Amino acid sequence: MKKSSILGIIVIAVAIAVIISTYSTSSTYGSFNDAKKTGSELHVVGHLNKQKALFYDATKDANYFSFYMKDNKGEECKVIVTGTKPQDFERSEQIVLTGKMKGNEFHASHILLKCPSKYTDGKLNVTEVSARKSASI
Amino acid sequence: MDIAYKGEHLLPGQLGQFFIVLALGSALFSFICYFFASRETALKGDNSWLHMGRIGYWLNTVSILGMGTCLFYLIYNHYFEYHYAWSYTSRSLPVYYIVSGFWNGQEGAFLLWMFWQAVLGNILIWKAKSWEKPVMTTVALSQVILCSMILGVQIGAAHIGSSPFLLLRNAMEAPIFQRADYLDFIKDGRGMNPSLQNYWMIIHPPVLFLGISSLVIPFAYAVAGLWQRRYQDWVKPAIPYALFACMVLGTGVIMGAFWAYESLNFGGFWAWDPVENASIFAWLVLVAAVHVLIVFKNTGHSYFTATLLTLLSFVLVWYSSFLARSGVLGDSSVHAFTDLGLFWQLVIGVMVFLVITVYLLVSRWKELPITKKDEETYSREFWMFVGAVFMGLSCFHLIIVTSIPVWNLMFGTKFAPPVDPVKHYNVIQASFAVVVTLLTGFTQFLKYKKTDVTRFFITTIIYLVFAALITALIAFGTGVYKLHFVFILVMLCSVYSVVANAKVLADAMKGKFKLAGSAIAHIGFGLMLVGALISAGTKRVISENLTGEQYSEDFAKTENPKENILLYKNEPLKMGDYSVTFTGDTIEGLNHYFNINYTRLDAKGNKTEEFNLRPNVIVAGDAGLSSSPDTKHYLLHDLYTHVTMTNIISNDPKAAEEQQHGANTDDSDYDAPVAHQIAIGDTIPYRDGIIVLKRLNKNAKIQDIPLTQNDIAIGAQIEVITHGKTYKAEPVYLIKGKSVYDFGKKVEDAGLKLSFTKIIPGKTPGEGKVEITVYTQPESKKKFIVMKAIEFPYINFLWAGTIIMVIGFFISILRRNKELKTV
Repeated sequence: MKKSSILGIIVIAVAIAVIISTYSTSSTYGSFNDAKKTGSELHVVGHLNKQKALFYDATKDANYFSFYMKDNKGEECKVIVTGTKPQDFERSEQIVLTGKMKGNEFHASHILLKCPSKYTDGKLNVTEVSARKSASI
Repeated sequence: MDIAYKGEHLLPGQLGQFFIVLALGSALFSFICYFFASRETALKGDNSWLHMGRIGYWLNTVSILGMGTCLFYLIYNHYFEYHYAWSYTSRSLPVYYIVSGFWNGQEGAFLLWMFWQAVLGNILIWKAKSWEKPVMTTVALSQVILCSMILGVQIGAAHIGSSPFLLLRNAMEAPIFQRADYLDFIKDGRGMNPSLQNYWMIIHPPVLFLGISSLVIPFAYAVAGLWQRRYQDWVKPAIPYALFACMVLGTGVIMGAFWAYESLNFGGFWAWDPVENASIFAWLVLVAAVHVLIVFKNTGHSYFTATLLTLLSFVLVWYSSFLARSGVLGDSSVHAFTDLGLFWQLVIGVMVFLVITVYLLVSRWKELPITKKDEETYSREFWMFVGAVFMGLSCFHLIIVTSIPVWNLMFGTKFAPPVDPVKHYNVIQASFAVVVTLLTGFTQFLKYKKTDVTRFFITTIIYLVFAALITALIAFGTGVYKLHFVFILVMLCSVYSVVANAKVLADAMKGKFKLAGSAIAHIGFGLMLVGALISAGTKRVISENLTGEQYSEDFAKTENPKENILLYKNEPLKMGDYSVTFTGDTIEGLNHYFNINYTRLDAKGNKTEEFNLRPNVIVAGDAGLSSSPDTKHYLLHDLYTHVTMTNIISNDPKAAEEQQHGANTDDSDYDAPVAHQIAIGDTIPYRDGIIVLKRLNKNAKIQDIPLTQNDIAIGAQIEVITHGKTYKAEPVYLIKGKSVYDFGKKVEDAGLKLSFTKIIPGKTPGEGKVEITVYTQPESKKKFIVMKAIEFPYINFLWAGTIIMVIGFFISILRRNKELKTV
């Protein structure tokens, strides 16, 4: 057999191996319900429940942050993050969590936030100097 | 109803928009003229098409400069009636960031790309000689597509391009635009995202876009070669340009990595973020292409692969651009590039170049100079070819995984990227790196066409053993041996590559200096991998804190280590080998610096080292806080410090206002007061230290209150000793007329407020006591920061490797350029 054919076969084999390994390590997007069933890590997309309180108190523990999130199917779950509260968290429009369920709590190892921050949204911030403020100085 | 708006500067925008249309028109004109000039049917000696093509391209260049000038004028003068200026700059930005505001938005980035392409096009017009006509056809076509991206024309429901000269009132709807004087209310622009406020933002995009735009040249040469049926000729002139693109694009990408490393915004120098991956697709494929082009030039083998890789590298540039700008990566990337609604236009951009590639290869398939002869096993070209193929495969893997959102979109599936992408990519890419680095090593001992086999094996094995020894030293010295075995293999192969190429370099110094370029580039590449492996593999968070109050030890074992520590002001804390103290904060403009003192003590408790780090937090109005670290650089490692949270600055407008107005009374900041009756010399213990009453001062004075002879003012001179520091305070007790007042004193740094509230006379003056009321601040009201400290060892190998690699590319360019002249 020609060497180029051997090389060709190796290339195809590696390519297939790459696709299979990608397929097997890729996770799925799911809901909290799915997370309860599988027990393995997955991605959950949802939004912050602004009615319920966020908890972060650096003086008690600088690495504990919890909040309630509603996934896209409307199910709510308590989420615990080991770390500090991300900046701008309250304003997030969408949250992508990576993690798994432990009991009734979702332990997230990674959070991706989508914020309508002033750098991306289409809203206009109009600054008007208020009379009250200038009078009090 | 038309409103006569006041105060707008419409002329520069209209001029800019005119230049955009002119640029598109002239690029199209140039493309058409060059196309006809290149046709085989064009008459020999008739250069009118060629001249018109050149004029079109020059006009395009002038229009791009015009556009840039107009845009800069808008930004520099703070004309916030323009959406672009309003979105990306503000009055408070320093001038150098105003310059970088120019390419902050996507439109500006396209403009930068077009600008470099215009420059390169002019170089080709000057240099390309017989290749000018067909090569410039492709370059002009690329310029047409780029211009269309910023056209900003609405046709029915579809809009073509997004113009940087769009007016704010056309970009968004708001009731304020009903007012003719709306501009009076727009005092400032939105400014620049704080994470972009870094000097790398000034230099990184221009270099990166020069790299990106220079990829068009090898592509254009390959297209020209196939189109004009000059199958072999195009390779030689294309090689120096391809090397140039590799060098500049590589530099640009690494600058981005350095920026990411320095600002730590993405968790290190390379986090396998989809946008980072996309930036390297084209580089990997082009480096592979350069190797196969050289193989073809030397032996005549591998023509098809060389051409295919060259063509694909440019298609991948467009694919990367699509990934980064279409919004398709929205759920998987932290680079928040917004979708300008150009999704389909970007798809068309990718498709145009893909179709050209496929069409030319298919239509010319039978004529391609493909050799039927098999390569020698012990020839350099065969293994160079294998190495290039593996680089292509590594890129293939990156594309497959990064494109998961694209697959989902195409097939309606719901895959998500790997849960731990860094691990996934690191292991698989490391496996490819093993093959590639091994090949960059032993191919150096092979010759083109035929090699003496015995000698080859002897040298290879000697160097391999030597490399193994060095690797063992490194692995045990740095702790790399604890990692996945693949990483140790990569380490071995990288060291081997460095050693083998060092031998070639040594030989080259003796005479064959023209070979130095590739040897130097390979040494650089090897060192880069060594540095990346050690620093990514053994980086460690030294601010580990396992003492969270809410956790049991069990919990701390199973959860990832707690990476943030809490530091109260002036309370030292032991962290690793250091004792760290948060000593204070200073404000400079928008930047809020935190001073953190590091002291290293040896076993006996003697101070061996002391330094201060000043991590910075940028307060950007309502956009929140953005923190950037400060670093202590050592020769062999870097120590990072990063403020992740603080109660000193707040982005909550209410709290800020309260602070300003002093609306909240002091006492709410403190715990319930405790009164102590003590005599002079007595001590009051409190949570963080002791309070000592030194003496009473009968002649105390109070600012702004004149005292008469009948008034009695007594000051209690008190010392507070806490955390090894002593603070003095003198609260005053005042009897004025029939009223009694006490003037408390705050000791901010100790978190205390002290009041002198009563005098209790004794029988003798010595027995007299006083009542001191102590207000302690609750823990949560004390000033604190939460910080994270990370140690990156041996990172300098990575940077040194990069610089060496770039030098290698540069020497190679000189060499290939010289070959061009002599032939």
